[in-house]
Amino acid sequence: MARRRAHTHVHLPAAAMALTLVATACGAGTGGGPVSETLVVWIMEGTNPDETAYFDAANTEFTKRTGVEVDVEFVPWSDAQNKISTAIAGGTVPDVVELGTTFVPGFADSGALHDLSDYIDDPYVYTQSLLRMGQIDDRIYGVPWYAAIRSIVYRTDIFAEHDQEVPENWAELRETAIALSEAEEDMIAFPVPGDAQYSVMPWIWGGGAELAVQTSDGTWVSEIDSDGGRAGMAFFTGLALEDGVSTTGAVNWNEIDVMESLAEERTIMAISGSNNPKAILESNPDLEGRLGVFVIPGREGGYTDSFAGGSLLSVFEGTGREDVAWEYVDHLTSHEFSSRWAEETGFFPARAAAVTAFAESEDPLVRPFAVQLSAASRGTPVAPAWGRVESEKVIVAMQQSILNGDATVEEATARAADEVERILNGG
Amino acid sequence: MPWALLAPALTVVGVLLLFPLGRVVWLSFRDFHLRNLVSGESDPVGFDNYTALLADPYLWRVALPNTVVFAAVAVVSTVVLGTLVALLLSTLRPLTRVVVVSCVMVAWAMPAVSGTYVWIWIFDVDEGVVAQALKSLGLLGPEGYNWFGDRLLFYAIVTLNVVHSGFPFVAVTVLAGLLTVPGELYEAALIDGAGAWRRFWHVTFPLLRPVFAVVTVLSTIWDFKVFAQIYLMPGGDVGGSRMLNLGVWAYVRSFGHNDYGAGSAVAVLLTLLLLGITVLYLRALFREEEPR
Repeated sequence: MARRRAHTHVHLPAAAMALTLVATACGAGTGGGPVSETLVVWIMEGTNPDETAYFDAANTEFTKRTGVEVDVEFVPWSDAQNKISTAIAGGTVPDVVELGTTFVPGFADSGALHDLSDYIDDPYVYTQSLLRMGQIDDRIYGVPWYAAIRSIVYRTDIFAEHDQEVPENWAELRETAIALSEAEEDMIAFPVPGDAQYSVMPWIWGGGAELAVQTSDGTWVSEIDSDGGRAGMAFFTGLALEDGVSTTGAVNWNEIDVMESLAEERTIMAISGSNNPKAILESNPDLEGRLGVFVIPGREGGYTDSFAGGSLLSVFEGTGREDVAWEYVDHLTSHEFSSRWAEETGFFPARAAAVTAFAESEDPLVRPFAVQLSAASRGTPVAPAWGRVESEKVIVAMQQSILNGDATVEEATARAADEVERILNGG
Repeated sequence: MPWALLAPALTVVGVLLLFPLGRVVWLSFRDFHLRNLVSGESDPVGFDNYTALLADPYLWRVALPNTVVFAAVAVVSTVVLGTLVALLLSTLRPLTRVVVVSCVMVAWAMPAVSGTYVWIWIFDVDEGVVAQALKSLGLLGPEGYNWFGDRLLFYAIVTLNVVHSGFPFVAVTVLAGLLTVPGELYEAALIDGAGAWRRFWHVTFPLLRPVFAVVTVLSTIWDFKVFAQIYLMPGGDVGGSRMLNLGVWAYVRSFGHNDYGAGSAVAVLLTLLLLGITVLYLRALFREEEPR
């Protein structure tokens, strides 16, 4: 900017006006249209191992191929919903975003996401259950990137030391946990976390109930407060309240806290994601060869269903660069980069062809997760409003109120079922 | 000319304060969800958000009592502790005073987020310093106790946090006032046989009334709208928990429930409440100031 001596005295009103102009110009700039050539990508972070090397490689190749620079920003899972809403309000959305499967329908329904159906040649290359979670009325708003599944990670050395076998039903799980908590007084046998909703859902399903089912007239009815749902909740919270195999502090734990307690050798077994063993070994290599995994046992034998989640990559609507953004989504979900992601993180690939290799894996830290995913997994109700059940923390509130002794299982499940029905039925 | 001089300040206030404030009031009369956020279009709903808010038992049983009772306790504690520290400081020699003031200011300089995490760490249910100390003294069983799940103890921790970060401001402000009080007044009171208690209430307090009014008003405003110190605590961000105050509730309703109209209504209510309290304070202050 050229400045002349005569203009050093700027009148205050003029300065004020300039300030206003700058302010409004900023507002307009972030609203729409290309602000910079760099593609902005939001990736969730939480219990994954270190991901920087992966994105360095993927982005270098993308830039070489397209000439577009990519800026990857990591957003903690717990902040994701709020951060995305604020970004929509402020017009500062990224081009590409990783969304948990349960979030996509809500954002797609609100019109925030770009319809990707026309870009996709063959939707059958993706794992179909994941693809469906990103669909509304047969239009695709998110491309499957990886699948996530939770089973129970345990310490094989401590099990062997105290002659414990992998439990095969709920009663055995309880006996094992009690025996271990008596044998290892300084350790937590089986934490019952309060702030980890996906660790709670299996017990409701295992008891024989659904989170919510749609009746023929379209209204949703929650079964959380049915006999089966209550039996599951009573069993899981009873492990903490009656059997004392958890710890009081676990009421405030989320999945990251659970994983850290395993990594710090404070916990013997815990519900964990398939990506957790790698992250645990990364932070504590001493545990190499001392971790095992078993499928969550069924109430009377068999298996208990676990939450099959995962992530989809979505493109925001209205950035003016949807086409380039799609190319990046296509790049990350390609066979090469989705398989590499799965290998490096321990998540499961979202391409049907790649899943088979994982299912046949003999790795003891992979195989039980593969069994859980293929034989005993379930999703949350397919309703656009389900994301709100999660962001309002309905299941967390239920779990914590029971663990804190503020409500009985009957009271807490009744309240949660009411809330779920209110939200899903548009209240 | 006066308007021309005021213009820059007014512009800044207008852009940064009045516009968002106006927008929140506008939002509170709208049906505004995630869909409207994306499309930018919304329907007016009159006072619906307010009638729903005032009929919500959560407001009367949880959010409002949490806000008001907490603020009352925190303001009184902050001002009393700050004043005591100021009285202590005023008796110190200059060098010692600088050292003590510096230590005190560290608490004030600490950002709310880091400070809150330190308090959460101190009160960690399993491994925290407080839990370990109580357990080794035998005052707490080995199973421990989740104070974050207990409304009273949850707010006790918040109060510690907020008073700890708020008292240095009061201390330094009151100290500045104390240093202006002529020493002769205390000497005269001393000769008349007044003890420390009477000297404070009959000499210091009347002279420093405006100072106390300012620190009380400011503390009230800050303590009514504490956010990070509650939101970051375990259970402080759960919609159904009994721990939310009006500020956090407004945020959770907006961004957790994606119901921006209802959230804004809560925010407007909080603003009105604060305005009302501030007006009452200032009126009380100026009435005292008028010549009799």
